[in-house]
Amino acid sequence: MALVAALGRAALALFREAGGISLLGIYVALCLLRGRIDWAELRRNLYKMGVISVPIVVLTAFFTGGIMVIQSGIFVRRFGAYGLLGWGAGYAVFREVGPILIGLMFSGRVGANNTAELGTMTVTEQIDGLRALAIDPLPYLIVPRVVAMMIAMFCLLIIGDAIAIGGGMIMSNLLLDVEFSTFYVSFADNVKLWDLWVGLIKGVFFGLCIALTSCHFGTSVRGGAAGVGRAVNDAVVAAALLIMVSDNLLTMVLR
Amino acid sequence: MQLLEVRKLHFNPAVPPVLDGVSLRIEPGQTVGLCGPGASGKSLLLKILCGLVRPEGGRVEIDGLDLCTCSSAALRAVQSRIGMLFQNNALFDSMTVADNVSFPLRQRAIQQGIRLDEAYVRQLVHERLRAVGLADHADKLPSQLSGGQRKRVALARAVMTRPELIIYDEPTAGLDPVTTARIYDLLRRERDETGATVIIVSSDVEALMSFAPRMVMLYRGCLRYDGPTDAMANSPDPVVRQFVRGELEGPL
Repeated sequence: MALVAALGRAALALFREAGGISLLGIYVALCLLRGRIDWAELRRNLYKMGVISVPIVVLTAFFTGGIMVIQSGIFVRRFGAYGLLGWGAGYAVFREVGPILIGLMFSGRVGANNTAELGTMTVTEQIDGLRALAIDPLPYLIVPRVVAMMIAMFCLLIIGDAIAIGGGMIMSNLLLDVEFSTFYVSFADNVKLWDLWVGLIKGVFFGLCIALTSCHFGTSVRGGAAGVGRAVNDAVVAAALLIMVSDNLLTMVLR
Repeated sequence: MQLLEVRKLHFNPAVPPVLDGVSLRIEPGQTVGLCGPGASGKSLLLKILCGLVRPEGGRVEIDGLDLCTCSSAALRAVQSRIGMLFQNNALFDSMTVADNVSFPLRQRAIQQGIRLDEAYVRQLVHERLRAVGLADHADKLPSQLSGGQRKRVALARAVMTRPELIIYDEPTAGLDPVTTARIYDLLRRERDETGATVIIVSSDVEALMSFAPRMVMLYRGCLRYDGPTDAMANSPDPVVRQFVRGELEGPL
């Protein structure tokens, strides 16, 4: 009986959070449709979330491209399929590895930071302070963050994809003695623009998931500093889960 | 602001405090001190008065407009006439002192589509900060200030747009006696200059009684006293008497 009760509680909590995230998404969409967004906050968040994230994304992407080559190196050598390296690395990075790894990195850095910031603002009554000053926190605080995270993910993915392909090219030259031109021809002849777009669409969607989860958990914090810690934890787990689930769905839709 | 009227306010959330049938009428220009033991619903009542929390029952009317049922736009219009000093100051961490103080003015200008003269804003912020003795701290972040200084910045921000109703929630909590006296001196000057209606909550009952000519006491979510400050210590209600006199023996 206790097990059933615990399962029931967990299910209720899951649906409560899912409902909260969905409702926030609808409110954000309504604000955007009415053009209610604070542009100064958007610019500030684009810098804070996008520009500041470039170094960590570049580092992650470079090694991601390298790992793709190292993992496939054994088979490429065994079958002498050096001409497939560029295609393999490009296809995998553009469609899957790039969006997922950069998404998770973005969630850990920007999403967690956003939840902590909003959570602290909630427990220190800063959000109540905004409302008391007749300022709706949604267009002022939330909408700019959601839009900034979607734009930042799009831009960071373009940079990350380019760096990952560069990293793969350098690693295949250093480890497998594959000429840059061989790698490039394999990449350019086989990878299509649509492959890049699939990754970018996924990235923007992941940005939306990270933004909505981090904003939802940040603004629903209860219980002081401990509550902020729990919210950050919940937001990162929920964002990772949403990234994985939506990746499956988007992969099926965007063939 | 003509009149603030609260009628049979009822709020029973999952977590205390609760409010049960609180009714109150505050005339324009009045100063009302709100007191009561911990978790008696004082801060909750203040949040309901400025539209941050919607009660389950009753009415909160400002100039005849019910804050519990009005539209969001109407509520924001009323809120723009209220200044609130929060217990935790609610200063924005990411902004400097000057930006915090000018924030209500800038946001109101954006909402009304008015272009503010930057020199005028700087001058006004300087004046407000000088009034609270912090003119030299304009470029600091709230985290670089002491508790009393943060409270004074919050006070400068609360009154920046010259609101008609000012709500102070524990303006001197955690401050030493000298800083407390300075804060009350600022509140007095502000009240005398603007003639605004003031509602103030404080655990420092002695200081509160010297500031407010009318006192209201809440106990377990119910109104226990509403009358002149002078008569409070001799109230026939033993709960009120014990609370005001700070006696150990009694119903509390």
